Amino acid sequence: MSAMPLPHFQIEAVAPFHAPPQARPTAADVEHDLLATLDPLGGRGRVWIASLLAICAVGFIAWIYQLRYGLAVTAMRNYVSWGVYMTNFVFFIGISHAGTLISAILRVTDAGWRRPITRMAEAITVIALLIGASSVMIDMGRPDRLLNLIIHGRLQSPILWDLVSVTTYLTGSFLYLYVAMIPDMPILAQRARERNRSPKLVRLYELLSLGYRETPAHRRILARALGAMAVIIIPVAISVHTVVSWVFGMTLRPGWHSTIFGPYFVVGAIFSGTAGIITAMVIFRRAYHLERYLLPEHFHKLAKILLVLSLLYGYFTLSEYLTAWYGGLQSDSRLLGLLAGNTAFGRSFWLWAIFGLFVPIGLLLFPSHRSVRSIMIASVLINIGMWWKRFLIVVPTLETPFIPAQAAGIAPRYFPSPVECLITAGAFAGFLLLFTLFSRLFPILSIWETVEDAEEVKVPARTHAFAGAGRAHSRLSSATLGIVLLVCGVAAAAPLSAARAQTAQTAQTAQTAQTAQIAPITPIAQGKPVIVLTRTTEDKQEMLVAKITANGLPVKGATVAFSVKRAFGLMTLGEDQTLDDGTAAVKFPTALPGDAKGELTFRVALRAPPELDGSATDIKLAGAPARPWTSIPPRALWSSRVPLAIPATIAFLLLCVWSTYAFVVTQLATLHNLKEEN
Amino acid sequence: MKMQRRDFLRAGLVAAGGVMAGAAATNSLEAGEVADGTKAPATLALTADGDLVVSSALGAAHTKPTSDEVRRGVPGRRWVMVIDLAACDGCGKCTKACAKSHFVPSDREFIRVFSMEDSSSSAPYWFPRPCFHCDNPPCTRVCPVGATFKRQDGIVLIDNERCIGCRFCMAACPFSARVFNWSRPDNPPEAVARGYSPEWGYPRRVGTVEKCDFCADMAREGKLPHCAAQCPMAAIWFGDENEDAVTNGKGDTVRLSALLRDRGAFRYLEELGTQPRVHYLPPDNRRYPAPGEPGANTGHQTRGAEQQ
Repeated sequence: MSAMPLPHFQIEAVAPFHAPPQARPTAADVEHDLLATLDPLGGRGRVWIASLLAICAVGFIAWIYQLRYGLAVTAMRNYVSWGVYMTNFVFFIGISHAGTLISAILRVTDAGWRRPITRMAEAITVIALLIGASSVMIDMGRPDRLLNLIIHGRLQSPILWDLVSVTTYLTGSFLYLYVAMIPDMPILAQRARERNRSPKLVRLYELLSLGYRETPAHRRILARALGAMAVIIIPVAISVHTVVSWVFGMTLRPGWHSTIFGPYFVVGAIFSGTAGIITAMVIFRRAYHLERYLLPEHFHKLAKILLVLSLLYGYFTLSEYLTAWYGGLQSDSRLLGLLAGNTAFGRSFWLWAIFGLFVPIGLLLFPSHRSVRSIMIASVLINIGMWWKRFLIVVPTLETPFIPAQAAGIAPRYFPSPVECLITAGAFAGFLLLFTLFSRLFPILSIWETVEDAEEVKVPARTHAFAGAGRAHSRLSSATLGIVLLVCGVAAAAPLSAARAQTAQTAQTAQTAQTAQIAPITPIAQGKPVIVLTRTTEDKQEMLVAKITANGLPVKGATVAFSVKRAFGLMTLGEDQTLDDGTAAVKFPTALPGDAKGELTFRVALRAPPELDGSATDIKLAGAPARPWTSIPPRALWSSRVPLAIPATIAFLLLCVWSTYAFVVTQLATLHNLKEEN
Repeated sequence: MKMQRRDFLRAGLVAAGGVMAGAAATNSLEAGEVADGTKAPATLALTADGDLVVSSALGAAHTKPTSDEVRRGVPGRRWVMVIDLAACDGCGKCTKACAKSHFVPSDREFIRVFSMEDSSSSAPYWFPRPCFHCDNPPCTRVCPVGATFKRQDGIVLIDNERCIGCRFCMAACPFSARVFNWSRPDNPPEAVARGYSPEWGYPRRVGTVEKCDFCADMAREGKLPHCAAQCPMAAIWFGDENEDAVTNGKGDTVRLSALLRDRGAFRYLEELGTQPRVHYLPPDNRRYPAPGEPGANTGHQTRGAEQQ
């Protein structure tokens, strides 16, 4: 019993889908069969876990190596600065949507056939999220500074949105997974006691059971908590993958800066998540002999959903690339040349289109040809294909920057390094390991829901003991719809930039002639020349006039060079020769802004005659007022001061979600207290 | 003034001590850098009037701008650059000068000279690209921790003591101006001795982003950036937009507004809306061989080849 799956497994011939149902398992059968999955592992199972542990260990060592030597051990460089780690991030966050679709949507719509699948789906969500979040940390150059996200977090950054929404999703998924497991806990505690398992394990199950018993009061409270979670987790899941897409969509890069990226990623996530759950079902069905519970019917229904999603994903892909191709922007064309042309990426893109999309669609399209095997093949192809598709989203765009690297003699190329491959293998092994360990501790099929399924056939009257989970909160559903729309609208609602505090430069008012102080720099031998600088208006032309006197007499025929001081040097205004009255003049630099006081510092230098050469004076005169300058930046996306619409939107959304979580927790507390009252 | 500097130094020392202690205790990533730091020829000394100063092998006592000054920028200024494509001959001396003064490793360039040809019917030209220090900077928008920031004097800087290395800014920059410390940097003693400030960006740290800093420390002292100062063609102008003047490496200072107007200046990829602070003068009536013409420079090849 309970041989664990090995990488290679076979699917035995299954009953045709439309065959009359076999003897449905009774409630007692369900409990017996599902608890049997927790029996000690056989040899193959141990080998499986040992192999996964070994791969994880190798991946972990690779990560330590990467921490020691920096990200230089990856193939990422300054042009292609993101690679497989980001691909893994998007992939695992995508897989996590399995739980949302199956358990939440099907629970809300009260689709009875979901029951044997929910536990698995919810577990995938939690585990995939943990691995996805780790992938980002692995990608970070300074994981030791993770806390900076909290200490210095900027709400304008989609990474903060990611942090907030992934945390919210993870919390919600944990809560959701747990709430749906509560009715199984007393059964598990009972069994652990019977089998003389470790008292700690018994205690764990008892603690987690919150004293739940099969009474109408307990059932009602549980249904309420579950209903609320099922509703709220849907918009949260949508927000998560939308925000993941915005990590790309909010940049100006070709292939990323796309308005459909949010929904494109959400559809991709549910698509790969559904394929993920089908793959998991096949494996667990085989490993734990669950053929009586995971019926062809279940695969068939999921196959229909998968078919719709693959068509939808194909549609989004077509919309995305056809528009770019047709529009023909230079940057888009360059990307498409790489992505769809006769290049390594191009060939792999078309391979993906064939084997990741068209072949699965072909396998799923015809009901008469659908079998567990064909559905499984389609799912595995989709899973592999969707990982590669994410790679094709991340890397080619980075290889085609706006300023072609080729213009600097550089050809950006990216192919993952051994370290990246090992860490990626470790991430996948970690996912499978956590999933396996979960299924060792808790039955991978929900006992109570499957029992319900079994009883539904025999005693239709009792069927809807739990239907309330879907209905009790139909009022919540409409609120949820609003939240979904709001979540999707976060970016659109955010103000694009705050108005820049640049007031128009005020025109300088005409000024009367002004005498400034004189500060000779170089004393000269034959009497110090005295320079007086004034600003006058001659024939409507503003002039800068210097009067040169030496020993009280005007100096005639001297060459005067005028300039004005600027930050890095003297700006030449011109030269003039003094007249009989000792004056020389150049045009005044009108509208030239002065210093903080609005003053310009002019340098008047004498070039000739030789005995006066080198004599220079710095004189301040009023110029145009200084341009306004403030040390306080405006509220803007780029600023340290956030536009208020962003925190307001985030706070509102978080309030909606977390208050629902709080409601669920209060329900659990009520459940716990019921035990004490009795 | 003196008190301020004294206080600053004292605060800096306390902070540095804390960082070192913390690093030694908990942080293996920092530990290597501290080990580097101990090799630095920097010493602490008390002057005759009781000031605590940091002196180095270079013999200079450095006063670093406070973190507040670093974040705010130089009051009143709006630094701006103009690059004359008609004068640039692609010699790459700007890149070299920048690399030398910033101790830039050979796998990256803060100012990179591209050999451009917009279409087969348009003439090739050299295109030096520093960081554009955009007024609506996409890199700064996406930074999750405010490690990269836009100052009120226009400069976009990076604080590599805060950067978490997510590289979102690199993805967000449409001009590929940002580079990353992929491996543990090999900081020369001079770089270590000066101590870190975002205004000069060294000593560099592994796992952090860096880029052209418009030589913020030089501008503060009224000196041109190294690329502008050492351009033999005087093709790079730098100045203060608020003063409406720019200066080139030959010491010519002209009115910014007149230069931009008379020469038909443009900003690269204006349509992206990033509002660069670097303007270009079009490559008309060139005084040099264009890329590919006999006698032309080889531009980028003058620096170490990048790995990718």
